[in-house]
Amino acid sequence: MALIALILLPFLGGIFALIAGKAEPTAARIVAVVFLFCGVLALAWTYQHAEAGRWMMMTREPWAPAMGMSIILAIDGLSFIMVALSLALGLLTVVLSWNATDRAPLLHATLCWTVAASNGVFLAFDLVLLAFFWELMLVPSFLLIAIWGHGDREAAAIKFLIYNAIAGLGLLAAVFWIGASGPTVSFDAFEVAERGLPPTAQIWLLLGFALAFMVKLPVPPFHAWLPDAHTQAPTVGSILLAGLLLKTGAYGLFRFPTLLFPQGMEVLAPYGLILGAFGTIYGALVACGQTDAKRLVAYTSVAHMSVVLMGICGGVHFSLMGAGIIMVAHAFSASALFLLIGAVYDRVHTRDLRELGGLQRSAPRFAAAFALFFSATLAMPGTANFLGEALVITGMFQVNWLYASITLVSLVVSVVYGTRLFQRIVFGTPRKAQVTVDLSFRELGPVVVLAIGTLLFGVLPQFLMTGLDPAVNSAVEALRAATP
Amino acid sequence: MEVFGLVLTYNHLLLTIPSIALAGFVMLGLDPFRLRDFEVRALALIGGVGPLIPMLVFANACFHGQCTGMVPIFTLKVGESTVALALQMDPLAALVGLTVCVIGAAVILFSVAYMQGTALPDLRRFFALMHLFLAGMLTMVLAGDSIVLFLGWELMGLCSYLLIAYNTTSAEAIRAGRKAFIMTRVADAFLLAALLLLFLEANSVRLDHLIPAGVAAQDGMRPIIAALLLGGAIGKSAQVPMHTWLPSAMAGPTPVSALLHSATMVAAGAVLLMRFSPIIQAEPVVMAIGAGLGALTAIFGAAAALFQQDIKRLLAYSSISQIGYMMLAIGVGAPEAAAAHFVVHAIFKSLLFLSAGHITHHSPRGTDIMAMRGASQRNPLAFLAFSAGAASLAGLPVITGGWWSKEAMLGAVWGVEPALWTVAVLAAVLTAAYATRAVLIAAMPDPGSHDGHADHDDSHDTGYTLVPLAFLGFGALLAGGLVEPIMHLLGAHVPHAPLFTILVASIAPLVGVAIAFALAYVPALANGLQRARDIARRTRRRPRRQDKPAGFWVRIALAFSRGLRIDTLYQIVFVWPFVKLVRWLNGYGRGVADPAGNLPAMAALRLQRAITAPFAPDWIDRTWTAFGGRILALWAALRRLQTGRARDHGLYMAAGTAGLLLLAWGLTWH
Repeated sequence: MALIALILLPFLGGIFALIAGKAEPTAARIVAVVFLFCGVLALAWTYQHAEAGRWMMMTREPWAPAMGMSIILAIDGLSFIMVALSLALGLLTVVLSWNATDRAPLLHATLCWTVAASNGVFLAFDLVLLAFFWELMLVPSFLLIAIWGHGDREAAAIKFLIYNAIAGLGLLAAVFWIGASGPTVSFDAFEVAERGLPPTAQIWLLLGFALAFMVKLPVPPFHAWLPDAHTQAPTVGSILLAGLLLKTGAYGLFRFPTLLFPQGMEVLAPYGLILGAFGTIYGALVACGQTDAKRLVAYTSVAHMSVVLMGICGGVHFSLMGAGIIMVAHAFSASALFLLIGAVYDRVHTRDLRELGGLQRSAPRFAAAFALFFSATLAMPGTANFLGEALVITGMFQVNWLYASITLVSLVVSVVYGTRLFQRIVFGTPRKAQVTVDLSFRELGPVVVLAIGTLLFGVLPQFLMTGLDPAVNSAVEALRAATP
Repeated sequence: MEVFGLVLTYNHLLLTIPSIALAGFVMLGLDPFRLRDFEVRALALIGGVGPLIPMLVFANACFHGQCTGMVPIFTLKVGESTVALALQMDPLAALVGLTVCVIGAAVILFSVAYMQGTALPDLRRFFALMHLFLAGMLTMVLAGDSIVLFLGWELMGLCSYLLIAYNTTSAEAIRAGRKAFIMTRVADAFLLAALLLLFLEANSVRLDHLIPAGVAAQDGMRPIIAALLLGGAIGKSAQVPMHTWLPSAMAGPTPVSALLHSATMVAAGAVLLMRFSPIIQAEPVVMAIGAGLGALTAIFGAAAALFQQDIKRLLAYSSISQIGYMMLAIGVGAPEAAAAHFVVHAIFKSLLFLSAGHITHHSPRGTDIMAMRGASQRNPLAFLAFSAGAASLAGLPVITGGWWSKEAMLGAVWGVEPALWTVAVLAAVLTAAYATRAVLIAAMPDPGSHDGHADHDDSHDTGYTLVPLAFLGFGALLAGGLVEPIMHLLGAHVPHAPLFTILVASIAPLVGVAIAFALAYVPALANGLQRARDIARRTRRRPRRQDKPAGFWVRIALAFSRGLRIDTLYQIVFVWPFVKLVRWLNGYGRGVADPAGNLPAMAALRLQRAITAPFAPDWIDRTWTAFGGRILALWAALRRLQTGRARDHGLYMAAGTAGLLLLAWGLTWH
């Protein structure tokens, strides 16, 4: 039941926040925080009552037995980390938008629903349920961009929706094919995994799944929605996009291909590697030429998530572990950068790197925070980002040296775009826009939390690694078993 | 004692060495207590000098044969591999670490006075970053495993960026910092690759497992690893062909250069190769490449230094050249001699930077070499210190430390490859020449002082600055006595070179001194230099060729003063294509921004339009609409019949009846 609570609590939190907000607008944020915090407690409960074995906890409830659908939720270390991340980012964004004025109750409700839907993705093992949450996730994000966005927000929101909804069809079609393929109609992922699918069908089904996941990841050439969505989204929207939505794509790629289609993965992984390698360099190169700070970070996300794709498609222990760690590390560092750039935007109403500058003189705390997360973005040792990159590169050395060298080259290019972002904002003198107000305490709190996360997991990654280990192991074993 | 499952022993006090500097960084960086100016300086001193104390204790024990060896800190598990993070204290770590601590303490002591008058936030930032820089180098030196080693290595890269760009309003400083960061990052990528490959070989990150595993590596792995290590060292140590960032890095404050060049970042590459020398020495080809590049760098750096117009650029090329000597020594299998030279070089190079910085501080000419003029009257003690450093750099026989360590290296080189020895001796001649040239300029009277305004009284000698200068000055002269013990400590002996090579190598500096006098006082040569200097100054802003250099000599001087324009070459070969590519990918000009993302999107959109366009008129709707229109028309036509007049209705009835009759007749017709 705790697993259902993990989805239901944030969802109800959103509804109650909306109701409470009708009566008293400031009550909404408190309701949201309370419900999200209850979600954290439920997560702690699952940790306390974790069972030994592959899955920490599993829930099966009948839903529509005639149609082979049931509610199957399961949690292991990977899901646990992802759910923890989503709850943490949910709380963080609510705190960050504490004093929001524009339709605040709806904003806080939307944040809660984003958390609820992505928790659903991280826990669902009934394929219809997965597809359901997968599509559901688009709604709150769409609202975040379309209602509270900047500039050309409607177009960005629609672009986001079209890309992801069309890609979601691939998942949906594959899910229904799988459901109908067995002796009885069943969408139980474990049962399907047990039964095994015909190898040729696996390739097509994996393509369907991968389309959905790779658009969400996103990896070139499916990434064009991301820069627009990030640029136009409000700060909290960008944080949830980078920290949560992209991670659902990575999670899906991490979990389902090896679980359901190990033979298909065996065939398609080399192409995934090529795509990832291309995306890593391509994203980094395009980032080097951006003038909008948020767009720049969006393209770095493309580069980093492409590394995740490489790690997953590498299919060896090191690379998968590295991919898992980058997922968490990137959630912290990209969220923090979006937060900081958002804070700059709130003050001077521009994100144009040609107009900003001189933060170091006028706002030293800002500058220090930028320095930390800029170094995290370029994978400075001591940050979790470095650990992830280093593990992926190690894995790539086992797979193919070409990919290892490409990742190493991207590390060099990351300094080019990293310093561009950093020094255009922090160094020099402002050409137009001078930030005079340093980070407030309400902004500083989330920054400090993200900083601690980045450094803590960089120095003491044992918790992450232990958590990821079962998922990584079963992925490696599945691939090993699938190798002819 | 047990903390967090970590059983602490006495040896864990090794952690305090980098931690003190790191604590200084945290305290100054976060500034929780709102420190005042005086307190910032005091804290800067504590963080800068503090690491020296535990370092002395541990190094002393190590020099007496009681090294602590590996000190595991904690252990991680990655799948089947265990990753044990550790520090270590072996003779190399003790030697290098002690040098770093001493130089770091001296530089920070000097900076406390040098940075007087800086705004408080900048002062905090400066010392915080200096502490982090120091902590990075100490971490790298004391590292017992590859992760900690790489952590220290990269921290230095980041700090060098932030410190070179310390003056954040200077576009030149920012550009120089970024250049240093990007170029050394290439080296970092090489090193990271080498360390990860070693990790895969050894299945461990501990250096005492990695290095034997690297030596024993099969299947052609060892040459790759050795070459990658060499590449990492070349980039970080600013060796040819990756040296161009170092002369630009002069835009940073002088104490930063003093630390960067002598004991930390630039020297880190050499230290890395000393650390991994068993792997390098197992690969003769890599050794030969290292030695060749080292010799090339030594002579190129010395030649370029001779013609520099800026005292800091001169010293930068000098560092490049001196580290080249170390690489040469490592390349011929004498890392111990390189280590000895590392120590001596650290002393005299920090001395040179600090004394030159002291002399030219507040000079209206900046760091132009002519700002050194008048030093012997204005700052006599600093001038003496500079001369001592220059003498050591030149390697004046017997009385200077530089001679002893250079002798040890040259002896080793002679035993392996006389051709490289010849190059190294030629480089020694040039080294003495440029060192002497700088001293001669400093000894000249300052023409500006007669005008009365050039007597910059801010830079009078003070205790804070003179203590480190005096200490390092004596060190630069007396360090010769250290060479033999150092090599003994590291388990090698000073090679016995033939007497005549020692003689030649001792005469070489004297020849160099003579050349410097000739350059200064033979009119033809001096005028040529002056002319090259004028041209270089005129064309610095607009590097177009404005007037043809007069002769061969001027051309040579000009070419070397510009570092053979290798920077421009890289600009053309690497930077411009990169910028072009990035611009193209971002749709500058008439292209599509982000083509990989947007071209498919545009194609999809066009496809969608192409598919839907035929349906746009919506034929079904049109059909129904048209049908409805006909009905309406019919209805309108029929309505016209409804005239309401009786005769019309009668007529219709008659017509209808007739029609029906006709129909009935027709149907019954047979």
